[in-house]
Amino acid sequence: MKKGANEVLFGLYDDEEILLKAVKQAKNDHLDIMDVYTPFPVHGLDPILGLSESRLHVAGFIYGAIGCLFGFLFMTWVFTRDWPIIFGGKPYFSAPAFIPITFELTVLFAAVGMVVTFYVICGMGPGTINPTLDDRITDDKFCIAFNTNDANQDAIDRLKGFFSATGASEVNTKTI
Amino acid sequence: MSATVSTIRQPLIEGGKTYHQITEDICTPTERTPSTAWVIAFLFAVTGLAVYVFCLAWTIWNGIGTWDLNRTIGWGWDITNFVWWVGIGHAGTLISAILLLFRQKWRTGVNRAAEAMTIFAVICAGQFPLIHMGRLWLAFFIFPYPNTRGPLWVNFNSPLLWDVFAISTYFTVSLLFWYTGLVPDFATIRDRAKGIRRKLYDFLAFGWTGSAKHWQRWESLSLVLAGLATPLVLSVHTIVSFDFATSVIPGWHTTIFPPYFVAGAIFSGFAMVQTLMLLTRKVLNLKEYITLEHIESMNKVILATGTIVGVAYLTELFIAWYSGYIYEQYAFYNRVLGPYWWSYVGMMACNVISPQVFWVKKWRRSIFVTFFMSIFVNIGMWFERFVIIATTLARDYLPSSWSYYTPTWVEIGLFVGTLGLFFTLYLIFSRVAPVIAIAEVKSILKSSGDQYAGPNAAHQHAAHSEAH
Amino acid sequence: MNQFTFEARQKATLGGFMILGLLCMGLTAIGDDGHYTRLWSNYLHNSVFFTGIALFSLFIISAFTTAWAGWYSQFKRIFEAYSLFLIPGLVLMLVIVAGLWGGMHHLYHWADPNTLDPNSTHYDPILVGKSSFLNANWYTFGTLVFMAIWIFFAWKMRQISLDEDTNGTTDWNHHHRLRIWAAAFLPIAGFTSAAVVWQWVMSVDSHWYSTLFAWYCGASWFVSAIALGIMSLAWLKSKGYYERVSSEHLHDLGKFLFAFSIFWTYLWFSQFMLIWYGNNGEETVYFFERMNNYPVLFYGNLAINFILPFFILMRNDTKRKYGTLIFASILVLFGHWLDFFLMIKPGVLHTKHEMSGHHGAGHGDAGHHGTDHAADAGHHVADAAGHGADHAADAAHGVAETAAHHASSAFEAGFSLPGLLEVGTFLGFLAFFLYMFLHNLSKANLEPKNEPYLGESYHHHV
Repeated sequence: MKKGANEVLFGLYDDEEILLKAVKQAKNDHLDIMDVYTPFPVHGLDPILGLSESRLHVAGFIYGAIGCLFGFLFMTWVFTRDWPIIFGGKPYFSAPAFIPITFELTVLFAAVGMVVTFYVICGMGPGTINPTLDDRITDDKFCIAFNTNDANQDAIDRLKGFFSATGASEVNTKTI
Repeated sequence: MSATVSTIRQPLIEGGKTYHQITEDICTPTERTPSTAWVIAFLFAVTGLAVYVFCLAWTIWNGIGTWDLNRTIGWGWDITNFVWWVGIGHAGTLISAILLLFRQKWRTGVNRAAEAMTIFAVICAGQFPLIHMGRLWLAFFIFPYPNTRGPLWVNFNSPLLWDVFAISTYFTVSLLFWYTGLVPDFATIRDRAKGIRRKLYDFLAFGWTGSAKHWQRWESLSLVLAGLATPLVLSVHTIVSFDFATSVIPGWHTTIFPPYFVAGAIFSGFAMVQTLMLLTRKVLNLKEYITLEHIESMNKVILATGTIVGVAYLTELFIAWYSGYIYEQYAFYNRVLGPYWWSYVGMMACNVISPQVFWVKKWRRSIFVTFFMSIFVNIGMWFERFVIIATTLARDYLPSSWSYYTPTWVEIGLFVGTLGLFFTLYLIFSRVAPVIAIAEVKSILKSSGDQYAGPNAAHQHAAHSEAH
Repeated sequence: MNQFTFEARQKATLGGFMILGLLCMGLTAIGDDGHYTRLWSNYLHNSVFFTGIALFSLFIISAFTTAWAGWYSQFKRIFEAYSLFLIPGLVLMLVIVAGLWGGMHHLYHWADPNTLDPNSTHYDPILVGKSSFLNANWYTFGTLVFMAIWIFFAWKMRQISLDEDTNGTTDWNHHHRLRIWAAAFLPIAGFTSAAVVWQWVMSVDSHWYSTLFAWYCGASWFVSAIALGIMSLAWLKSKGYYERVSSEHLHDLGKFLFAFSIFWTYLWFSQFMLIWYGNNGEETVYFFERMNNYPVLFYGNLAINFILPFFILMRNDTKRKYGTLIFASILVLFGHWLDFFLMIKPGVLHTKHEMSGHHGAGHGDAGHHGTDHAADAGHHVADAAGHGADHAADAAHGVAETAAHHASSAFEAGFSLPGLLEVGTFLGFLAFFLYMFLHNLSKANLEPKNEPYLGESYHHHV
């Protein structure tokens, strides 16, 4: 979806339960939904939309493993090879003493990595401005949006019919 | 979304709110000019902050000699305050992360403010390890970076360094967790704002649109961050406890410290959250979102963790006797009957005895009792850290080294000043950001709003199995 | 079907395993030393393990009730039935108490009256110092009175739960009462469980102490109770019961298994690392003994109770698959049984060696008496001199001697590693526990009626 060049036809709903029914209807009618926007996460929406499960946690595990290995191996190298010093009569490879920092770095790498990944794959970041369809979506309106770039009048009428049949309180168009 | 909710559950949102009303109620404090109460509080807080900056400058310029530390008692108010602030910070992560994992819906009324409290408490805590170094301009020594001094690395075996990593990680992860939750709420404010405010919140909202895919990833991220933050919060105060427990002096070297410190941290943190929430709900008119149910739930956590701390105190006393180790036995004799006996009494009274009032339901739900209790608990927890640190150091193995410590005006000023720093940050937060998690509260409206749940519910057992 | 039928075939199978257990105990007695140390230590180990699981099942119910948990309501009768094992558990522990009074076992070094007699070569000033707590009177009091309190709470909460089935209304009065009892039980369990753990388990290594020990045992018991719960639930479902319990509920139980295995590991590490770091001789003997003489168990303990559950249960999907979840539960249950083995056996073996030095001939380890005696006498003298700077050296010396001839005595059947007889005895106790569990389960509805959270439990969706 290119920015700044898309014609969008969208309908606003007043309640998430009506929204869910509408989305189901749209799937049944084989309508190609561009996106659904809600003011809060609506449970049950993802499976109806057919969204594949997020794999952020896989990325998180990998980042965490990197942090874990990095921390433990670095401390081992420092205290066994680079500059071994005897601290408190403990052996050079003092594994129990390495554990706290290793754990912290695991969590740090996993958390920072996942958060950065999240913003990158969502196309968000400090100062990013993504076009929004309506200011009330982050308030109390639920939105189903269709891309009508190459749609003829029939298709648009069909979509408008869909919106009125499923109880949308408003239907609008916007170019984003 | 509507799920089966037992009618035994009390509502968590009062006033028969709609989604729009929730937006209005929570966003308005950031949009209108601050009330007189806010302004007066801010003036007090900024004065405290000024005291802090002055005492800080005094300490750095003149040195640690302006404090009353001596060779016997090397840690006094400085580390007591450090541990106190870090402990307070733990409640925020617990409310956000652990209560999320336990699916306790009442957390949505208080988690945003509690997370903010965590970040500000950690900022206050982090001041003390830095300024107690003395030569603050050499603070970079503690970071392990390749340098031209060997390279001389830091002592990874030292709990003091573990603290550096733990506090830094904790601050970073809490900040990320807090901010991730804030992004959708900043978007809500953004979409209501005009002019320069619009530009500001455009920046802060990171381009949030409310897309279903983004919400899905957001929820997944929140869950995993919660899963990470939970062991993190345990590990941070555990590592702080290692500062003491890895030593060999009686009263410090004891295996129960890690979970005992964590329980104590949650205890004091929840007390501080109560203090803040009682003030916030009154001043910002948010009583319908931070209800007596929330207050009561937090008081129950305070009772539970206070009891755990009490069990730990009695365990320490008993095992000190049981060990047959005369120095351990003396350490506890000294705590109860030595020169600092008053701090021990304060600790026991405030931490073990006073929370027992919360067995009585009427007092659990009393704003008056809760407010005073929240202050007592924090005083008690301050005494606990003082007992552990100063009392133990004052009299350990060698009687000829026994000493006494009284804080100087600089140290007292620094502590009072960090209170100023904390409240300044919190008051700014309450102006700029929504103090309640708007999107999360909306998501529990259908299950916990008082028109749906509890005795006044219009619909009972709203079970729509097709939604699943 | 809301009623569990305890079929004859199931009773026979469990009965068979109980007989196996008794057989193994008999065989243990035959090959044992004059004081039946291996038999008694097996008995103590298993009694403590299963009694603790019963206690922590009650703790689970209390904690969940106080926290307004709704998801587990359907199958809370499982944990209720577990908690009723406290009654047979009391009987089991009273046998130990009787053995203590009758001088029948040498499980506890402090029970040897010679340690308190200044004229005896076994005089131990440290034990004298502890004797106002470590004595048969307090042991009996702790076992009898504290367990009686637990049984009272278990019985009371069961009564309310059963009454709710017949008389419960939508005013939820039973549940409100239950919450008060549950909330009151939590601190009582906290205090009393610590006291009995110190008596039953920690005093086996009577010179040693750790303030964390009670909570560490508690975590071990907690995880074991969850593991057994998962296995029981899966078995009952396979028989057609609990149809409305879904993979969602198992997922949550799996999360508890995962999280509390990590919590147990955290407590394990805290105890170990702090003692390692401080390097105090009187504390390190505990781990020195186990790392050097029981290395397979010591590291195996961590592998089975931390590494395996961590990697198996981390992924979301494994917690929903019955097979993997049951496998992890079996591992964890056995792993924590091994954990208690490692807590009890080394100390008992040490006591046996010390005390058999006093009792002279007739034992397989007669050759060790001389060195035992000298090392222990040296150990005691050093202790009597107070914990000065030289104590660490003496203790190390004493330990090195003891360790040396432990190493030279090499493998001690039933102590160095659990043998077939230990496993057989464990299976016997497990069968007894399960027999009582299924018996109690059959005495009430499988699902509570008129329970406020039942609807939530039926529609539980993670």
